[in-house]
Amino acid sequence: MPGLAQSPAAIATGEPVTHEWRHGLIDARASGGDTLLFHTAARAVLHVRHGRLVRGTGYSAAPSSARRELVRLGAQLVLRGRGLYHVHAAGLVAPDGRAWLLAGESGCGKSTLAYALMRAGWRVLGDDGVLLQRALDTLVAHAWRQPLQLSIELAEYFPELQSYRAAVDWSDPRHRISITYRAMQHAPIAALVFLARVRHDAITPLPQTVALSRLVRQSSTVLLSDAHAAPHLAALRELVMQVPRYQLEHTERQLHRVHKTLLGLAT
Amino acid sequence: MRYRISGDALTAMLSDGAVVLNLHSKRYFSLNETGTRVWALLEDNSGLDEIVQTLTAEYDVAESDARREVMALVEELLREGLLV
Repeated sequence: MPGLAQSPAAIATGEPVTHEWRHGLIDARASGGDTLLFHTAARAVLHVRHGRLVRGTGYSAAPSSARRELVRLGAQLVLRGRGLYHVHAAGLVAPDGRAWLLAGESGCGKSTLAYALMRAGWRVLGDDGVLLQRALDTLVAHAWRQPLQLSIELAEYFPELQSYRAAVDWSDPRHRISITYRAMQHAPIAALVFLARVRHDAITPLPQTVALSRLVRQSSTVLLSDAHAAPHLAALRELVMQVPRYQLEHTERQLHRVHKTLLGLAT
Repeated sequence: MRYRISGDALTAMLSDGAVVLNLHSKRYFSLNETGTRVWALLEDNSGLDEIVQTLTAEYDVAESDARREVMALVEELLREGLLV
């Protein structure tokens, strides 16, 4: 008989107490219909109050980056209450109208491959997040709009990016540029792909348990202790049970062929 | 000996196992097929002897091995606050 438990994975720091939790630099405290989000670096507060975002102490004076982080998390909580679950993944819609979710940690190549697919004619739902919704007999990915953030170093492979050189944020260690695009609104989900940058190209099917564990990590608000946790986990479970799951280990060779790699899996 | 699943645990049953979240500690675990069977028996309020007997009947495993594996899992689940 094999061992029964696989290794646990902690995804949050600090000492979580019921209805108190930490998400990156943001501490949160939920009480009744009010969740207080406190940005620890900017010392700014945003409330999620009965499904609306309400500015609190220090919010207006906080740097825009801190305000963005607060609003991003606040919006995820509001939408979670409406059955729309944020997943940290790029969402790309293939020519057949179905969405592929590319998930993984920051730096795994989500935006890069999203742009590569966009060049190949795929439509974008989001490059750093999508919203998952259970529909009648299917799962739908909705757009999570924000500009596609790409490193200018990719101009070596995609020459048209040279025209963005004047817009590079050189204070950003990744020297990124922002590319706007016309997002699709929503699409049914075709597959879930976890990305890893390595020295060789390989694509392998993932067991459901592995995929769901990784998905929990990419949709960490599922761990919030409230009435929405159960339907949130149920939606993630349905995703890994309904669609094929893969791990794509990729090199720069995929930059010009990832669309063929993915569609090859669909046939 | 009987244990109860903690109210902080949230479970997703899958065809190849299960994933269990601890909403209090914010940690999560995956269980393989056998671990999932044990978890389901714990959810049904089965005692340890009953669980060991069930595993021995359903799997090709000696009772001593089954007991050792079940105890190891139960101890880990207790440590993680998923059982009380």
